[in-house]
Amino acid sequence: MRALQRNNVTVEGRPDGRAMMFAHGFGCDQNMWRYVWPAFASDHRVVLFDHVGAGGSDLGAFDRRRYASLEGYAEDVLEILRELDLTDVVYVGHSVSAMIGVLAAAEEPSRFSRLVLVGPSPRYLDDDGYVGGFSREDLEGLLGSLDANYLGWSGAMAPVIMGNPDRPELGEELTNSFCRTDPDIAAHFARVTFLSDNRDDLGRVATPTLVLQCAHDVIAPEAVGDYVHRHIAGSRLVQLEATGHCPNLSAPEETVAAIRSFLAA
Amino acid sequence: MSSGVPQHESAEDLFEDAPCGLLTTTPDGTIGRVNRTFEHWVGTSRDELRGRRFQDLLVIGGRIYYETHIAPLLLMQGAVREVAVDLRGPDGAALPALLNAVLRRDADGRPQGIRVVVVDATDRRRYEQELVRARRQEHDIAQQLQQGLLAGELPHAQGVEVRAAYRPAESGLEVGGDWYDAFWLDDERIGLVVGDVVGRGIEAATTMGQLRSAARAFALSGASPGRLLEFVDAYARRHDVGRMATVVYAAVHVASGRMEFACAGHPPPLLLPAGGQPHFSWDGRSLPLDALRTAAPVTRTAATCHLPPGSSVLLFTDGLVERRGRPLDAGLEALRDAAARHGPGAPQRLADTLVRELHDPGHVDDVCVLAAHVGG
Repeated sequence: MRALQRNNVTVEGRPDGRAMMFAHGFGCDQNMWRYVWPAFASDHRVVLFDHVGAGGSDLGAFDRRRYASLEGYAEDVLEILRELDLTDVVYVGHSVSAMIGVLAAAEEPSRFSRLVLVGPSPRYLDDDGYVGGFSREDLEGLLGSLDANYLGWSGAMAPVIMGNPDRPELGEELTNSFCRTDPDIAAHFARVTFLSDNRDDLGRVATPTLVLQCAHDVIAPEAVGDYVHRHIAGSRLVQLEATGHCPNLSAPEETVAAIRSFLAA
Repeated sequence: MSSGVPQHESAEDLFEDAPCGLLTTTPDGTIGRVNRTFEHWVGTSRDELRGRRFQDLLVIGGRIYYETHIAPLLLMQGAVREVAVDLRGPDGAALPALLNAVLRRDADGRPQGIRVVVVDATDRRRYEQELVRARRQEHDIAQQLQQGLLAGELPHAQGVEVRAAYRPAESGLEVGGDWYDAFWLDDERIGLVVGDVVGRGIEAATTMGQLRSAARAFALSGASPGRLLEFVDAYARRHDVGRMATVVYAAVHVASGRMEFACAGHPPPLLLPAGGQPHFSWDGRSLPLDALRTAAPVTRTAATCHLPPGSSVLLFTDGLVERRGRPLDAGLEALRDAAARHGPGAPQRLADTLVRELHDPGHVDDVCVLAAHVGG
């Protein structure tokens, strides 16, 4: 049960239902799905987890080499599914976890029956005719922002973040209590995320796929969602009315409805 | 009215000229009202600001941070506090700011709008950057210091080969105080030392340097292992450094394979005899340096053993065998099993393999292994 502990896996919903896994993106943890997963709990077995380095995951399991690329994170997804012995899985991945799901489904297609990619981007940096939306300087700017909020992290937070609060009194005082992580790990994940290039992996996906695209999303602009849709054969693209990068939080009803209608098709 | 409470200031005045930027936005960040302080600060009038999104006023890195951190936090916990962002000033220059925001919801719990307070944090940011820089610098200095102290030729000649593997802790900013050393004592014998200083950072690195030099000097003056530990212990007490540090010292006669050794609170040497099973030697043990905080000298016991030709001896620090949530015995057993699989030959590969196989992913402790192979 190594992966289940390492990734702080939570299983909810109907034990005999179809498995549905929700994967959070850069900057947060499984709480990102709090307004979405309950809508599927009555007829699905819901699997939530934190990537290593985020939320209640085992920070001690963080290994720069294993997580030097998104493949390491995709391997974690597969290990969780193997340990839970799940197949026919509906995988819902937000942001960078959309590509992590693409890699996992390309690696072991037999485990997956559907992919839902929320705000996906196979390549964040602009590159020779391809418009990802970011330059290398932009990435440096993000790392600067992480640094500037570095002082918000203190060692005293670690036990709370790591899910074994032997100082429960801290729990009440946490200001930005969700989505905290060790700044070194956050900077590493930012680099891996924003420097990744998975454009060639889109063609390896044989699983029926839904792309959910928001309006005014600076992280994953519409042109990028369109690129993903064109390069995954047979995929469906749904343009949401929601704006920003987190429709799972800002427009949960619309997000749920889009996923429901895709699963019913 | 003589209470001294100013009566002339209206709520409107307070809003407009508050000593901080104030604004309201829709849940997606589209700006509604802004106060005069904010207008002046970003050099843009409210008419131009209205309808734009707050996150678009941030420099690009901050905009990504807004979308990946601030917006989700607002929707999940309803507020963010003391978040550092950079606004784009009138000339494009960054205006460092601290931001507090609350999300208002309607009676049905639907997000209705965001109230934002923006405080100029120019000086504060500069100071924080200095702190972060100083912390990094200290780490770099300590690392260089440590690497400089560990550099140097290890004994390698006909009949003896000494190799080391060192892996600094992966997480955390500070370096640890593990060290190794190996040198010729005379034409026939080599001295082997591995030690571990309590603490981290520059202090641990300098303490490590002192103890390492002291141990080497005492060894080269001909001190036996027991005496050497007594001298290093006296040094630690006399100069108040390296309290609770652990050290193992072994002197090996290359031709005969006779090894005399002593252990001050350190993990025991692992012997890998040619043609036999690896085992730990639990003899010659005493307490860590200055463990009792006493002025009286502590007598240190030593032991001897024999390394047949083709054998190896392994000295290591606890980072190799300690892992969170696992008893130490299990760690030692794992080391012995891994050493048995590898066998006593090829000391560099032995040291590298053990560090690789046994290291704790994301370990927080340094790992140091010294492997000496004789007569092979």
